[in-house]
Amino acid sequence: MVRDRPFATYVLAVFVILSLNFILPRLMPGDPLLAIYGEEALLAMSPELKEELVRRFSLDRSLSAQFLAYLAALFRGDLGHSYYFSAPVSRVLLGFLPWTLLLTGVALCLCAALGVVLGIESGARRGRPQDAVLLSSALFLGGFPDFFAGTLLLLFFGVTLGVAPLAGALTPYAGKAGLSLVLDVLHHLTLPLLTLVVVRVGPFYLLTRNTMVTTLGEAFILTARAKGCPDRTVRYRHAGRHSLLPVVTAAGLQYAHLITGALFVEMVFSYPGMGTLLYRALLTRDYPLIQGILLTAALAVLTVNFLLELVYVKVDPRVVRAR
Amino acid sequence: MHVDYWAHVKQSNAGRAGLILVCLLVGVAVLAPVLSPWDPGAYTGAIFSPPGRDHWLGTNDVGQDIWAQLLFGARTSLAVGCGAALLATLLSVLIGGTAGLLGGLYDRFWMRAVDALLVIPPVIPAILVAAYLRPNLAVTVILLAAILWPGEARVVRAQILSLKERAPVAAARTFGAGWGHILVRHLIPELGAVLVAVFVQGVRRAVFLEAGLSFLGIGDPAVESWGRMMQHALRFTYLDVWKWWLLPPGLALSLTLGAFALLGFALETVFHPRLRR
Repeated sequence: MVRDRPFATYVLAVFVILSLNFILPRLMPGDPLLAIYGEEALLAMSPELKEELVRRFSLDRSLSAQFLAYLAALFRGDLGHSYYFSAPVSRVLLGFLPWTLLLTGVALCLCAALGVVLGIESGARRGRPQDAVLLSSALFLGGFPDFFAGTLLLLFFGVTLGVAPLAGALTPYAGKAGLSLVLDVLHHLTLPLLTLVVVRVGPFYLLTRNTMVTTLGEAFILTARAKGCPDRTVRYRHAGRHSLLPVVTAAGLQYAHLITGALFVEMVFSYPGMGTLLYRALLTRDYPLIQGILLTAALAVLTVNFLLELVYVKVDPRVVRAR
Repeated sequence: MHVDYWAHVKQSNAGRAGLILVCLLVGVAVLAPVLSPWDPGAYTGAIFSPPGRDHWLGTNDVGQDIWAQLLFGARTSLAVGCGAALLATLLSVLIGGTAGLLGGLYDRFWMRAVDALLVIPPVIPAILVAAYLRPNLAVTVILLAAILWPGEARVVRAQILSLKERAPVAAARTFGAGWGHILVRHLIPELGAVLVAVFVQGVRRAVFLEAGLSFLGIGDPAVESWGRMMQHALRFTYLDVWKWWLLPPGLALSLTLGAFALLGFALETVFHPRLRR
């Protein structure tokens, strides 16, 4: 299942997203400034500001010149101006992005670790009750929409039991520092993290289990057993290690799901990351902010995918030889 | 590959469960006006009433009957899901099929494009386009189909490539059959099973995306939708009404996604017998 995805694919993908970002506001009927900045924004706009914006976006010039101006602005890190926050989009994003990266990063590591261990144990017990229970619950949970899973957890642990905070990433105005700050962050992180792990651990588990089932039938496992290796060693050192490879490939795809899942889950928990920001931007029709959020999310996914591909080459030397 | 996939799906537990659930959902969606005495958008006179004889699942903050909304929401979900999946399957046959048959530069062009589109998480362009267009039902279907086709085209192309090399096709070639004849008599009938699997997976993803978009408040506001019901209900978690209002659409959505996932899983085991272990 190794797919050779050259760098050009990623460049092309970035180009597709940028073109979509560029073309959508300009396809809208009426004044493109209206579509780029939204109605409320234009009402408060003075003629001088409007003139300045038309010049900045090269709106009085040809479409290709506009696209070049758009790209040049992006390279300068200029994502536009958010009217809701009345601040540059890039500055707003920098405030929200770390929380999303924390949430999705930890979720990815937990999902992969948990999925691999469960997959190894389940694959080694194929056909027995523990395996059947794990397999069916993985299939069942995998179909759960992440925002509904989040809602259920929030209502159960947050509202009914009252053991988890209902919103946010920190206790507001508490001014905590040091260890209590870390604990506070973890306390707020638990439920959104749990949601993502519960919904997204399935693919890692299923993949590892399938590879385990195939691997355990191979000759080198028989050799290991014949040598008298204890069961644990065969399971983890021989078969388990062999089953790690597809997990690395799957991690890229799963990170895409985690980021987009986080957009919804954060909204449920009002976790101050990109998802909550996106929801607020959608409600206020803050188009530059919507564009900036989605562009950043897409770039994060592409970057992680690309890095994992580099890791894959390191982990599996056959890929290099095949090229 | 002469596999009777229909018989196979009926034999597996997952397939049977999925089929029953899907039939149930379709039945409920079709009979929605019969099954509910209320109109989903009508004010019924009672606000936040708990489930009872008049309102089976209670009413919401503007006195609309939740059971009625749930039923009509099933219509939206299934209509968007099936519509988008059908359109995406057609597109994937058109592009993946021709790419597999013709090969060469044409094939390489499309596969490179598909590769690039596949690394972009589908939710992102969906939200972006929906945020600008505020799509109605028809536009939503087109939008979702445009997002779903690349993955499906890859599957169709792979299947065409493998079918092209099979013995019956080679035999027909030696008898002097043209590509048109081979396409109609040998390739398309064999493609059927794959297309059904692709379609079922497409429905599941489209239903999920539609619910996600309406959950974010950028779906069609004119139709009932489970995602929008949940978005609406989530604002009232401080009242103790959430279990009557939030759970039904969430469970209905999970059930629908589960049904199509089960059916899809059963179909997939037809092509990958290894998964059966």
